[in-house]
Amino acid sequence: MRAIEPWVLEPLRTFVDESSARLTLLTTSSGQVVAQHGFQGAIDLMSIAALGAGIVASSTEIAAQMGWIPFRVVAHQGRAQAHLLSWFDTPRGRWVALVVFGSETKLGLVQVFMEQLVKDLVAATPPEAPEKREVLAADFERELNASLRALFGR
Amino acid sequence: MSAGFEELLEGLTHMRGVKGALLVSAEDGIPVSGALVEEEQAPALAALAATLLARVRDLTTQTGHEAPRFLHLQAADGLLLLAPASNELIVVGVAGREALIGPLRLEMLRIAERLH
Amino acid sequence: MAEEIRALSAQYAADPSSLVFLRLGEVLRAHGQTDSALKVVLQGLSRYPHLPEAHDLHARILVDQRDFAGAFDEWDMVLRLVPHHVGAHKGIGFLYYRAGEMDRALYHLRAAAELDPEDAGLHAAVERVAGGEEIWETPMPEAPTDQAPHRPAADRRVDNPFADLPGGSDGLLLADQNGLPLGGGSRTLEGEDVSEQAAAALASIAREAARAARLLAMGEWSHLSVECADVSACILNPTADSTLLAVIDAGTPGGQLAFVADRAAKSARAWLERQR
Repeated sequence: MRAIEPWVLEPLRTFVDESSARLTLLTTSSGQVVAQHGFQGAIDLMSIAALGAGIVASSTEIAAQMGWIPFRVVAHQGRAQAHLLSWFDTPRGRWVALVVFGSETKLGLVQVFMEQLVKDLVAATPPEAPEKREVLAADFERELNASLRALFGR
Repeated sequence: MSAGFEELLEGLTHMRGVKGALLVSAEDGIPVSGALVEEEQAPALAALAATLLARVRDLTTQTGHEAPRFLHLQAADGLLLLAPASNELIVVGVAGREALIGPLRLEMLRIAERLH
Repeated sequence: MAEEIRALSAQYAADPSSLVFLRLGEVLRAHGQTDSALKVVLQGLSRYPHLPEAHDLHARILVDQRDFAGAFDEWDMVLRLVPHHVGAHKGIGFLYYRAGEMDRALYHLRAAAELDPEDAGLHAAVERVAGGEEIWETPMPEAPTDQAPHRPAADRRVDNPFADLPGGSDGLLLADQNGLPLGGGSRTLEGEDVSEQAAAALASIAREAARAARLLAMGEWSHLSVECADVSACILNPTADSTLLAVIDAGTPGGQLAFVADRAAKSARAWLERQR
């Protein structure tokens, strides 16, 4: 389990233990990886992070077009495993969670502990430094590489 | 929530000591219908009940026994009752210590039978 | 007697390092409260692991609980600490006599009688085992190499937490918190031993029951009753780190299930205490 910011680890660890999730990925709404559990390989993670953010964006747009309140949770049920995508607001902005789970747990249980994860993350978020620097394209790439190194120890 | 299902659960919710009753999807652990349950408790109750039943089913499968048809979890401050209606639905009841298990059990089995 | 227990308990509580635990254990044992006596003596032994009198008391409590192998080990310890301990020789002699090993029984009972010439009952026992008064004219033999008295495998009570229950361990399985079997067993109707699988499932069930009770603010869970068409079962934790499964036929009145489970849990707790 790795996270860019250490305060994310404890809430994530609790979530994984309680929900029995096989894989968990937390990203910002723009696809920047915040934390992960269970993933191997940087390339898979980048693709999945981007795709997850895209699915949430598409789902939100569908709801907007239809005049619905945007779906906060999207669940895809497979035969052997399922995944759940959820977006939520934190003091650090909107984040997206992708959770992959199998028959050893239940969708309802994952959802219940996802709610708790959100509360725990919000409670654990430390106050932000007063000045924010603007993220330029070069800075973004540097930050992405730094986050990959932090997550995979390279 | 389905009005038909709520009617089925209504008798249960009026019994002595009962704090709430739910119909739960066994597969997902998600509430299908409920009565008298605090809204915020329903998802956790449904998920935990379905997970507990799944674990007990593992045990009965391993030991070659028939599937469970009634579960009673007794705790210091209350009890949790489950009556699987089929492979898809579970009748779930929560009650205080003052509840009488015998009548509750019969009512839940009756509801489960009707849903089967 | 109850007054004495209260007074001794208060003394012990005030000073847990004192030797009053010996007297308290004796009184509890005399009062038939063997479980409490056992707890007290085990606490005392944790502070005084080389105290012969504590091991002797422990042995006598174990005999009360019919754990004869455990009692033998305790008296054997006493004799290592104090080779001429009358109580230990008497106790081991009794165990050998019970197991039908007369030569060893005679040696120990005679050793005890020689150490305590005033005990007429002991002298009578020696003559009975020896078959006559002539035993006193023969020299004391060499000490035998003591091994635990042989008992048939079916009587190996120390390995079975439920051996002393009517029906033995039928329908009873004890598992540790890691899902490994500790005692008893579980079989399918076809006779296949599924103890390991059942123990693994029990650990998961106990964990889920605890989590459900906690997250639903129900307090600590005490037991889970399961009703199937063919059997009824009760699952509970005799101790914080063990789980018990008790299964009865569906034809048995449901109210008896709690009774069966409680009795089995009590037996399991006592057995676990002895193992520690």
